[in-house]
Amino acid sequence: MKIKRRAFLVLGSLLGLSPYLNAQVINGFQKEFKEVEKTLYAVQDHMFPEGCPLPSAQAMYMTQFLYDTMQHHSFDKDIKAFVIEGAKELQKREKGKFNTMSSKEKEKALRAYEETRYGSSWLSRIMTLSMEGMFSDPIYGSNTKEAGWKALGSYGSFPRPKTKYLES
Amino acid sequence: MYDVVIIGSGASGGAVAYTLCKAGYKVAVLEKGRLMRREAFSKDELAYCRRDLVTPNLFDEYHTIEEKVEGKWVATPTHESGWSFWNGNIVGGSSNLMSGMFHRLHPDDFRLKSKYGAIKGANIEDWPISYDDLEPYYTLAEELVGISGHHIPHRYEPKRSTPNFSQPPTKENAVVKLLDKSCENLGFTPLVTPRAVLSKDSNGRKACYYSNLCGSYGCSSGAKGSARESLINPALATGNLTLLTNSHVKRLQSDSQDKVHAALVVDTITGKERYIKGKIFVVAAQSHESARLLLNSSNQYHPKGLGNSSGELGKNLIFSGGGAGQGELQKENLKQIKFEDLMTTGLFVNRSILDWYFIDHWWDGKFKGGSVEFMFEHQNLISRARKDNEVKGKLVWGKALGERVEKRFQEQKSIRFEIFNDWLPNDDCFVSLDPTHKDKYGMPVGKLRVEGHPQDIKVGKYIAKKCEKILVEMGAKEVYSSISSSPSTNLVAGGCRFGNNPKHSVLNKYCQSHDVKNLFVADASFMPTGGSVAYTWTIYANAFRVADHIIEQLNITKI
Ligand SMILES: Cc1cc2nc3c(=O)[nH]c(=O)nc-3n(C[C@H](O)[C@H](O)[C@H](O)COP(=O)(O)OP(=O)(O)OC[C@H]3O[C@@H](n4cnc5c(N)ncnc54)[C@H](O)[C@@H]3O)c2cc1C
Ligand code: SF4
Repeated sequence: MKIKRRAFLVLGSLLGLSPYLNAQVINGFQKEFKEVEKTLYAVQDHMFPEGCPLPSAQAMYMTQFLYDTMQHHSFDKDIKAFVIEGAKELQKREKGKFNTMSSKEKEKALRAYEETRYGSSWLSRIMTLSMEGMFSDPIYGSNTKEAGWKALGSYGSFPRPKTKYLES
Repeated sequence: MYDVVIIGSGASGGAVAYTLCKAGYKVAVLEKGRLMRREAFSKDELAYCRRDLVTPNLFDEYHTIEEKVEGKWVATPTHESGWSFWNGNIVGGSSNLMSGMFHRLHPDDFRLKSKYGAIKGANIEDWPISYDDLEPYYTLAEELVGISGHHIPHRYEPKRSTPNFSQPPTKENAVVKLLDKSCENLGFTPLVTPRAVLSKDSNGRKACYYSNLCGSYGCSSGAKGSARESLINPALATGNLTLLTNSHVKRLQSDSQDKVHAALVVDTITGKERYIKGKIFVVAAQSHESARLLLNSSNQYHPKGLGNSSGELGKNLIFSGGGAGQGELQKENLKQIKFEDLMTTGLFVNRSILDWYFIDHWWDGKFKGGSVEFMFEHQNLISRARKDNEVKGKLVWGKALGERVEKRFQEQKSIRFEIFNDWLPNDDCFVSLDPTHKDKYGMPVGKLRVEGHPQDIKVGKYIAKKCEKILVEMGAKEVYSSISSSPSTNLVAGGCRFGNNPKHSVLNKYCQSHDVKNLFVADASFMPTGGSVAYTWTIYANAFRVADHIIEQLNITKI
């Protein structure tokens, strides 16, 4: 059966149904994003650290990409809420300490989060969105100097976009 | 007042518009999407494949899909499931985004019931026309749309009225040598896939430049045989076509029992509504949306939906049955061809197999089978990088992820097959109106029940086994296939069956409503059975046939 995404997103979080998600509209997305930005970055940085075959989260401006892509009106509002809620959930599980943990501790915390269906789905979503940035056209601000494509040895095809779809 | 008003500018609407405009009639095409010209298309994976640049936002316009949960049918909106049944809502419709693998139906596809008999639980009916009625129009579509290929006689390849394609096949990747040899070793016959892609410049359209990203993308050379390039553009050049974009048709209005007099159109940007009047109306909105529009057009004369005296409107929706399989051709054990040649991007695989179109075997039995297409895995970078990044249900990240992705891109290439077999029409596959959900224009959305028939799975598995053998023979590793009863959301037909008996069909053999004489449905809705190939060559051909009949009707009224 096709998963009922909204019901799953709402019920899966230990925080329960926040008024924010309940309202189904994202007011003040910028403010909400700011609150979890560091956590999102810490997770992306752990998934895409420096010194690996793929470029790092930092070099690819992955957190900025996350913000840019989600703020557009066409972005799925359930997923937008899920990204924020899932990060809050992680902060809560780790009593606000996740961002300052050592790499080993982060690994433990994320693997434990992954044990839950909700956490596993959230981590998978963060991975997907991060890769969307790293391997999409550099016009979107990630994949700088085509570093993502270089790592693959495969490049986007022509004609390349002259404008971001985000501008429409 | 237009002579003809067409709803939808895709493959079917384009073919009707072209024919009528060329014949000198005044035509309006109402298209809910915008016009994107050739120059506007790019290979932006994020926009085309991961966001909804060319389809409506699912929160604004959606479908509900019924599934059986604990014995009850439960409908879930697609914005909850993330499962989209939109395919391309711009001028030219989904045809802008197709891969263009084209086949004609076999003559026996027109008479499946008489040939193979009834199947329990399946509503199979013969067509009221034969292959011979459609053959001239397949030929016409081949010329006008621009289908390239090379005809190899085969027992299941239908006969042609011309010896060969006027456009030679598109260029092929070296992998075809390996594929052909492997098929030969196993006693199978690979054929060259006809493709709605120009291999040579023609009529202001440039030949394919092998962009590597074809399906799901618009074409910026004009090579792909989209309705926009091949039919709408020339129709516009006649001066007889009024193309009204951003014009969503909410319903058709009738002021008498047997006539439609106007289409109620909402401007998708300003929200303003107006009526567009015509002598003849042609619905070409893609099967599931065409049936929805007619159901939404019920009135005092047609309380169950426009042209639905048979009660058949929306019933017997069909998709393409089958599934797909894949294997990895790896650098370390590749045989017969050079790895660099395999890795050359853009060139097509261009091979199909029709050997199992009908099965008549002493052991396996006698039944309708299907066709197979071979291709490389879709070359999108994001989706290829993102797939299979799990080990034992855990995500791989960090260094291990990098190494894994690097290997996938640099040391192997995935070869894939797709199976197309009949989706048997049945009582649990149809479109109706959702009683509660409405789109942003206030109209009930289409509620789709999309169950397949067990025979479809049996056939799919039978063919998949043969195809897996081919991949193994090619030396591919990690070979697998997956056959399911999930509908192919981009290949939809049925819902307004044609037939000679008005009690059991919505349309007559010219795809004209039995009940409403100036109403035609030109897309794949008419198909009682779908054949075992992708539909679009047949959609184009049939729409040309329907257009010829409309011209006859208009000529009669003139006299
Ligand atoms: C990615 C992809 C790959 C494909 N590959 C192949 C292939 O290899 N081989 C093959 O045979 N087929 C393929 N197809 C399928 C092919 O594109 C369709 O079968 C064909 O385009 C259907 O034609 P149509 O006229 O029914 O609908 P469309 O071409 O979709 O046109 C319908 C048009 O009607 C418009 N419309 C709908 N409702 C309304 C309304 N209420 N008011 C105004 N306008 C409306 C839509 O916006 C759309 O533009 C593919 C499709 C996709 C998406
Ligand atoms: S150039 Fe060729 S491969 Fe690219 S979209 Fe056009 S037809 Fe397809």
